Amino acid sequence: MKQGWATAVFAIVLIVGACSPKLFPADVMEGVDPNFDFSRWRMVPNQALERKIQLGGSILQVEQKDGGMTIVARQLPIVEHPAYGPKDTGKSSGEFAATFQGRVESQFLQRGNRVIVVGTTKAPSVVLVDDLRRNLPTMSADCVHIWATEGRDIADFQSFGAGYETLPEGTFCTKAP
Amino acid sequence: MKVFLLSLWCVLAGILLGPETGGAGEIGPSKPRSPVVVAQNTVETQGPAQEIPPGGASVEDILLQKGTITQDEWIQIRAEQEYRAADQSRRLDSIEEWKYKTEVLPILRDKVNFGLNALQFLYGHTDAQVPEGRSQDSFSIRRSEILFWGKISDYIPRWHALFEFQSINLTNNTPTSGASTPTSATFFRETYVDVRPVQSWAPNLNMIRLGIFRMPFGIFTETSGGLRDVISSPYLTAVGGGGGPGQNANGTGGAIEFIQERDYFADVRGKIANRLEYVVGIMNNNNYQANALVSTTSGIGGANQPKAFYTRVRLFGNDVSFISFTTIQGESNNAGTLINGRGKGLFDRYGIDARYTSKILPGFMTQGEYWQGHDGANATTVGTAANGACQVVAQCGGSGAPGLMRRTWYVLGKYLITRGPFENFEPTVMYEQFDPNTKMSNDLYTRTIVGLTYYFENFPPKVQSKIQFNYEFRHHSGLGTGPASVGYNSATDPFAQNAFFIQFQVRFM
Repeated sequence: MKQGWATAVFAIVLIVGACSPKLFPADVMEGVDPNFDFSRWRMVPNQALERKIQLGGSILQVEQKDGGMTIVARQLPIVEHPAYGPKDTGKSSGEFAATFQGRVESQFLQRGNRVIVVGTTKAPSVVLVDDLRRNLPTMSADCVHIWATEGRDIADFQSFGAGYETLPEGTFCTKAP
Repeated sequence: MKVFLLSLWCVLAGILLGPETGGAGEIGPSKPRSPVVVAQNTVETQGPAQEIPPGGASVEDILLQKGTITQDEWIQIRAEQEYRAADQSRRLDSIEEWKYKTEVLPILRDKVNFGLNALQFLYGHTDAQVPEGRSQDSFSIRRSEILFWGKISDYIPRWHALFEFQSINLTNNTPTSGASTPTSATFFRETYVDVRPVQSWAPNLNMIRLGIFRMPFGIFTETSGGLRDVISSPYLTAVGGGGGPGQNANGTGGAIEFIQERDYFADVRGKIANRLEYVVGIMNNNNYQANALVSTTSGIGGANQPKAFYTRVRLFGNDVSFISFTTIQGESNNAGTLINGRGKGLFDRYGIDARYTSKILPGFMTQGEYWQGHDGANATTVGTAANGACQVVAQCGGSGAPGLMRRTWYVLGKYLITRGPFENFEPTVMYEQFDPNTKMSNDLYTRTIVGLTYYFENFPPKVQSKIQFNYEFRHHSGLGTGPASVGYNSATDPFAQNAFFIQFQVRFM
């Protein structure tokens, strides 16, 4: 009997643990293209307009303006392990810009923070990155989820400060029109 | 050599500029010259000499065509250009080579990093009476900690070594008889390796951690010294001693380290459903200096056998607020240990801790911990001989105290002001109690700390430079009541007298 309980608890733990966390509301994730090719979009940013996509990245800069902001991020793959979220694998397909209408605490807008953006592709925009004008593929974000890792990978953050640190993270969505 | 090359060039030029090509006026982009027309004798330098500048003839070609410059001058100009091109190429090669070398440097690949964990300069004042030769006021370096770490691969995501450069004094151990001897220095403070055996098991089974590090016992214990909100360590880490009353048969005096900050351990850590963290492990229960107890020749490990099991589960309400439950079960030893106030025999601790970081009122955080646990009989202060659990001091040394239950708790609150004239100031309040023997009254330690911190830079956990002011209202009831009670003089007990501290800190990694 005891063995049965132990097996059941173990199975529940495995099942629950195997689920990736739900960062965004279900309606926001509706219609997201799971096979979106970022590299191609990066090369030809005009050819995939108005497509619902989800991208992961590392924040390069944030420009705030008129109650909104433009997040410029280096694209990173979203992985399940060792921790769910964008992971720096040493290979990046390039940068992208995401416009977001909403407020985000400054703690989450630091360079190096990991971000997942869900939104719609738009026409490319010119953004000033490190004093250089860059023509970047652009999306309009419905929701963003940010991990305030300040350059570290999500899985590595907890031990980074020579002790134990909780990782601040938050989901921010635009208000419905 | 130069004369020879010039002669060679003249001969070649003569052939090329002979009857077939007409004259000097025909040299130019419209008629590419032979590759042998060079001013340098290296193959690498021939290329640039033959290049026709984009957009037409070069200036010197036109000048030569117009007769403004002579053939010799044209050659001189070209030679100069070739030299420059070769020089530039050489420089680029050097840069490429340097780039290749630097790219593989461990420090640029996250394999080796170093940082300043905490450099703290402390001024302290205590109202307690002090013996001759000691002072109530002091300047000191509280911490001078250099940290090294790196990521070897996805399977070894972190190695870590921390050195404390200020506390190099030797620590005594607890011998079985006679006087203690200096045993170990505390220069070496932390070192561990994380192993993530199977990537796809993470984060459910995130890693196995092996080494010596801050133990996962509550919140304070696991918080780096460079990120703490108050200057003094909490009573749950250590209380008593420091010139106050010594150990006694009630277990209420002397230095007591209720929860050691560091130890030698092996544990497994993971997170389930992004909400429940767990740690399960075993440790020596001997403190961080215990490496000195191991003989490097015989391999005999002193009292370093893993003899305590611990586990913690931490349930997250959101990303930064949680509640945790911890237990430690096993044995402790009084001889050969480097922890104060531990007896020989069964040992346990039970703890609950919680932290609330407000999202409604950003900058506000409160946390608390409650611990209690049982120590074995004949607890002893490090440096005092102890030999067994019997309570006859003449026979077994130690304190002669029976096994006893201890209890402690604290609450801490702080508010970081993020705007206005007091931006970056952070008032802090902490209250704590420590009961060294729960079966005895009139032995309670209490302390209220009122603090104010100003942050010069505050990007935890990487950067935190600050100045802290703490005033501590301390009270110690005494050493207990009853037939075995001993005399107590609060005037000389630093834990019964108020204290004031100012600390400046730099942290950067």
